[in-house]
Amino acid sequence: MDKAIVIVGLNHRTAPVEVRERVAFEKAFLKHALERLRSLASVDEGVILSTCNRVEVVAAASDEQAAFREIKRFLVEQESASAGGGNLDEHLYAYAGDQAIRHLFRVAASLDSMVVGEPQILGQLKDYYLIAQEAGSVGAVLHRFFHRAFSVAKRVRTETGIASRAVSVSSVAVELAKRIFDRLENKTVMLIGAGKMGQLVARHLQRNGVSSLMVTNRTFERAVEAAAEFRGNPIRFEEFPRYLKLADLVIGCASAPEFLLRPETVEETLKQRKQRAMFFIDIGDRQNFDPRINEIDNVYLYNIDDLEAVAKENLQGRAGEVRKAEEIVDEEVGGFLRWVGSLDHVPTIVALRQRLEEIRQAELEKSLRSSLKELSEKEKQAIEDMTAAIINKILHAPISRLKRPPDDEDEAIYVEALRKLFGLENK
Amino acid sequence: MDVLLLKGAAILYLVGAGAFIVYAALPRDLLARVSPVVLLAGFLLHGAALGFHFFHLGYPPVTEFREALSLFSWAMVGVYLLAQLKYRLAVLGCVIAPLAFLMSLAAVAFGPGGGELPPALKTYWVPLHVTLAMLGNAVFTLAFAVSLMYLIQEYRLKSKRTTALYKGLPSLETLDRLNYVFLVWGFPLMTLGILAGSFLARAHWGDYWSWDPRQISSAITWLLYGSLLQGRVAAGWRGRKAAFLTIVGFIVVLGYFLWGSSLFPSRHAGSFE
Repeated sequence: MDKAIVIVGLNHRTAPVEVRERVAFEKAFLKHALERLRSLASVDEGVILSTCNRVEVVAAASDEQAAFREIKRFLVEQESASAGGGNLDEHLYAYAGDQAIRHLFRVAASLDSMVVGEPQILGQLKDYYLIAQEAGSVGAVLHRFFHRAFSVAKRVRTETGIASRAVSVSSVAVELAKRIFDRLENKTVMLIGAGKMGQLVARHLQRNGVSSLMVTNRTFERAVEAAAEFRGNPIRFEEFPRYLKLADLVIGCASAPEFLLRPETVEETLKQRKQRAMFFIDIGDRQNFDPRINEIDNVYLYNIDDLEAVAKENLQGRAGEVRKAEEIVDEEVGGFLRWVGSLDHVPTIVALRQRLEEIRQAELEKSLRSSLKELSEKEKQAIEDMTAAIINKILHAPISRLKRPPDDEDEAIYVEALRKLFGLENK
Repeated sequence: MDVLLLKGAAILYLVGAGAFIVYAALPRDLLARVSPVVLLAGFLLHGAALGFHFFHLGYPPVTEFREALSLFSWAMVGVYLLAQLKYRLAVLGCVIAPLAFLMSLAAVAFGPGGGELPPALKTYWVPLHVTLAMLGNAVFTLAFAVSLMYLIQEYRLKSKRTTALYKGLPSLETLDRLNYVFLVWGFPLMTLGILAGSFLARAHWGDYWSWDPRQISSAITWLLYGSLLQGRVAAGWRGRKAAFLTIVGFIVVLGYFLWGSSLFPSRHAGSFE
């Protein structure tokens, strides 16, 4: 079989946002677009990917060069459907074979993203793959290709720190909280003050499972407002030290001229909490918490500078992780290329014939040496001929099915099934 | 035969240790799944070694130092594998597997003492006493390992050095809870082991308590772990303090186990030559 994987498209590096917007496919019309894509003579299978940073057509095609031409034209038509346009060609890239494989793997693993390591791209890729599958434009090759890309992305995520490194202040706060606490679902947050950063961190913690939240503010009305927004409980400012013992995480984001909390208060609180750990996050314009709080046992205090330092360090650490991720992609490209190669029907037929012949010879020899050893040479020859004929008869139908020029795109399924059923994988 | 099996087990522990340490440096799902299996294989082989030895001797192989050491490491790996089933803590293996390797290697290196067990000690109090004590030690070793991890993780969080190798460590809360779990399991085992020991002392030395160095060191660790447990339950000791005391207790146990009897001669010898 002769199927090439091709990718034609543009992304945030090759095209400015106006161009990307003009080419973008709306989800509502995607099904229609996929139909048009499949109607191209050279395209057997196709998936269209359209996010704000990239528009790409991934296809399995019978003829690489024809597919490049036709898909480019397809995208130009898509662009000219909206106002403006022209010169799309200079923004397009076109990959085939191992380059195309590497490209999709890198996209899935978020190595090609504007913010490397951001996790959304994998979900988007899965969405667009599903749309194409529902539209019936995915066959055996793209099915395998995309699923492999998903598993490459998973490998990269679990084996490198590319996605796990928090690079924003609020995600660093969450990461630290997860090192102190087992799980966040049963933890309570107290938010002191109404600063923007504090709210951001609180929201991030809520997204990571924190369900209980108290809000306090010098102006009680603002505490009530914020509490409504976060579905938390407002607390009067004078009373917050009394409630402190309920809080596992305390976010300070007030602009008070003096410290809101002194070590003595925290020590007292900790006694009431039976020494259960507390995490203080100080991210106001001024310092809200006395730095000496960090010296108390089972208490951890991070201020904005600490959090930023961690974020910066993580950002630097990412470079090394990217290198590791690229190595994983390289490895996987090789593996996938071997699979594509195995889809060729000629070696499969040879291997299948060989396998059956081996069985025939072995069984024949066994029988002729034991139970049939009394037979005459002529009779032995007859049995030899008969078994050979049986093999040929059995093989006739599957082999002629494989040799027939591909009339539908699922030929690869047969080749693969055959290899699996007869254990030809290693041949 | 049993020595051969023990060597095999030691090699598997070494392989397991390597796998765990590589896992700590570059966390791969596969390693986290494979390493405990390697350790399990070592555990089974080790169990077979102990079984053979038992069969060969005719009484439980617990009277010589190397035998106790072998039982100790076997119980430790067993307890770890149980904990691994429940808590999925592959990092813990980074401490347990190398320890198991060193201990079983030492058990091989010491070789048989050749001493014949005095007939007076051929009672089932001996294996009961030693088994309980070694199980207790094994559980305390795990308590020690999680406490060590706690201190590392705590130090990094306090000093705000958060990157590098230690991101694979469990959260402080998890480690602290495990410290409690192991303490709750280890303490009764240790208590029963000491009780069995004092019955044995009565039978063999004529008195339950005779100010023998071994008895004194046992009493010290019993008091230490007991007050730690009591402090945790009643006074809310946790975190660094609990981790620190657990480590001190373990050092006393291990220290006496390894060198004590040569510094403070005791009638409670490791071997009976």
